[in-house]
Amino acid sequence: MSTTSQQAATEGRPATGGSTSTRRPRRRRGTLNLRIGASLVAVVVLAALLSYVWTPFDPTQAMPSDRLQAPNATHWFGTDKYGRDTFSAVLQGARITLLVGVVAVGIALLVGTPLGIWAGMRRGAAEEVTMRFADILLAFPALLMAIMFAASFGASTVTAMVAIGLGSVPGFARVARSGTLQVMSTEYVQAARASSQPALRMARRHVLPNIAGMVVVQCSVTFALAVLAEAALSFLGLGTPPPTPSWGRMLQESQQFLDSMPALAIFPGVAIAVAVLGFNLLGDGLRDRFDPKMTGGKS
Amino acid sequence: MRRSIPALFASRLAALGLVSALALTACSAGSSNSSGGDAAAKDTLNVALTGEPVNLDFTTTAGAAIPQAMMSNVYEGLVQVDQEGKIQPLLATEWKVSEDRESYTFTLKEGVKFSNGADFTADDVKFSLDRVKSDAWKNGLKSKMDVVSSVKVDSPTQVTVTLSQPSQAWLYSMTTLVGAMFDESGVSDLANQPVGTGPYALGEWKRGEAITLKAREDYWGTKPGIPTVNLRYFADAVATTNALKSGDVDLVYNMQAPELLSGFEGDSKYQVLKGTSNGEIILSMNNKKAPFNDVRVRQAVMYAVDRQAVMDTAWAGLGTQVGGPVPTTDPYYEDLNSVYPHDVDKAKSLLKEAGAENLSITFSVPTRPYAQAVSEIVVSQLKEVGINAKIESAEFPAVWLDKVFTKHEYQMSVVLAVESRDVLTMFNNPDYYIGYDNSKIKADAAAADQADEAGYVQGMKKVVRQIVDDAAADTLFIFPNVVVGKAGLAGVPANSVTEALSLSGIAWK
Repeated sequence: MSTTSQQAATEGRPATGGSTSTRRPRRRRGTLNLRIGASLVAVVVLAALLSYVWTPFDPTQAMPSDRLQAPNATHWFGTDKYGRDTFSAVLQGARITLLVGVVAVGIALLVGTPLGIWAGMRRGAAEEVTMRFADILLAFPALLMAIMFAASFGASTVTAMVAIGLGSVPGFARVARSGTLQVMSTEYVQAARASSQPALRMARRHVLPNIAGMVVVQCSVTFALAVLAEAALSFLGLGTPPPTPSWGRMLQESQQFLDSMPALAIFPGVAIAVAVLGFNLLGDGLRDRFDPKMTGGKS
Repeated sequence: MRRSIPALFASRLAALGLVSALALTACSAGSSNSSGGDAAAKDTLNVALTGEPVNLDFTTTAGAAIPQAMMSNVYEGLVQVDQEGKIQPLLATEWKVSEDRESYTFTLKEGVKFSNGADFTADDVKFSLDRVKSDAWKNGLKSKMDVVSSVKVDSPTQVTVTLSQPSQAWLYSMTTLVGAMFDESGVSDLANQPVGTGPYALGEWKRGEAITLKAREDYWGTKPGIPTVNLRYFADAVATTNALKSGDVDLVYNMQAPELLSGFEGDSKYQVLKGTSNGEIILSMNNKKAPFNDVRVRQAVMYAVDRQAVMDTAWAGLGTQVGGPVPTTDPYYEDLNSVYPHDVDKAKSLLKEAGAENLSITFSVPTRPYAQAVSEIVVSQLKEVGINAKIESAEFPAVWLDKVFTKHEYQMSVVLAVESRDVLTMFNNPDYYIGYDNSKIKADAAAADQADEAGYVQGMKKVVRQIVDDAAADTLFIFPNVVVGKAGLAGVPANSVTEALSLSGIAWK
């Protein structure tokens, strides 16, 4: 799943280019994707914000007398084996999910985009080296890298964020480079080059604004992957250490109760699905909106 | 991009064909196996365990996994304990204790051979016991042999061990790993090639997967019920029970996911045994490091932690509440639950008195199921009294043994202490990772050991009470020995009263 969505984001769209007949329905679907995606993301963001001001219970507070309750009026999503409120934990778990997403995407964005632009503008050996290095990194499973990081630096949220972020750098570099190549072939850039504008200024004034849309799309897709990766790492015990609520770890802890108390697995599972689907749809919707081939070009 | 429909259809059809072909071969393989497979299954026992040993040499490496697999199966001692905790003969047929209780004369069984073909004689006893006292042994448990002053070979089948003073604990220690008998020519590579007199010998060790034990043809005693035993190590507890359900393993010993028991209880295909063990879940506090170098802070923790609630939530209520670091099967056990009842106010006032309000500590939690389950509830209870414990997970065994156990770089930890009669190992040694100042118990412990049976029990009770009064560590509960296996197995030991998982008595009905 990760490869397809990433490839779609990096290379798929510019190549396909909509014909007149397909433009309209695709665009409408894009808007729908955008709306659904944005709403799901909003739900996650609101849950995280809400958890700062209010949760029904302290999600780290064990109440042994209330353990393993099915969803009821007091505990809306039930309680876990320590008697902790699952609803509160799901709310607060959104924080870690978003934090990891924001930081990981931030790292990938800040490292990958300049690298990609640089490679696209310089061409030649610099480009070759950068992009082949990105290919190598891309060929290395990001999750495996995160596990290696956790093994050598200890399991923590920070390790997970950095590992996921670094693993996402090549994706950004490729998107930025392919966008830059397109921009560099346009006439106004040729003109700017002829007037020997400094490279940095050119990158800032011409390249960056024109590839911004593609990069935003990449952000959204990477965010979805980061959410999934954080959940997977926490599930393996390599992410956020307990007792800070994390959806992945909640899933892991619910394993023993799949038969007797499926609610324990369902709620964090649905939360992960909502977040991942939300950011993916948002990415799809944004892509359809920003795609220069479909809006008739913005340059 | 888009493929034509016929092409797509053709590829689907081909895939379908492939899948059905695979299914067919799987079926035929299955059916041909099940006729011959039953016979094969009777020859083999697959046991699921968690926590693979780092090597097979308990003389140099601490940790429960090694003696669990090796003792009673590959190695034997002169004496053993039965399921009731009584000492019985094994490689010695009998022994005489002198008037002054300082020398033991053992008569050895004849015709015993090591798995490398060498004969077991009195020389091997001397070699093995002397070796424990030499630098070759690095396991901290070797101190249990400190009391031995000399070992004398009287004849090939008779050996006399002289102690520097009478010791009640010594003969018991001889049933544990420090009493294991080695052959001088078989100790060159104990980490990979164990050589003992036991009913099994190491067949193969696939690291990260399984230890295969093969029954020995030349074993002196009753032949094991099942010739080949695979000890298979799983990453987590859920995987062990899944393996049992799918038929990959026959027995899950010391099952680490008590909440899953309900799926097996009442199912006639399985047997569920809830035995006791001599393992204590110890919430350890580094007595030598702030803030736990203050007895009041340690006592506050004892009051803050509701041990019954910990056992109920973390381990489905299975286990035994004891209140002190002594399992119920030890002769000097007494119920000490009332010393530190759950009392949040008392804990808070002790912390206030010690000037340790709003305390922040690091809680190093080994990556074992019981430890992770216990840690979350303990953290929650400590928070109630104003102790903010940050969980730091320590990979077990390697990282935990190195950081916590060896280098003592920790404040709080939790671990299952499985060595038998280990209270003095843990607390009568200030260099142990707990770092308890043993000045108040040292003399009493020595006196108890030298006393007669009754005096030993009384003296040890006094020692244990002192340890509990000083809040050296919090014994959360005695670990249950939960065993789930196929109903067709007989002779599965329910209680884990020794450090070993003795396999030779298990057989298919």
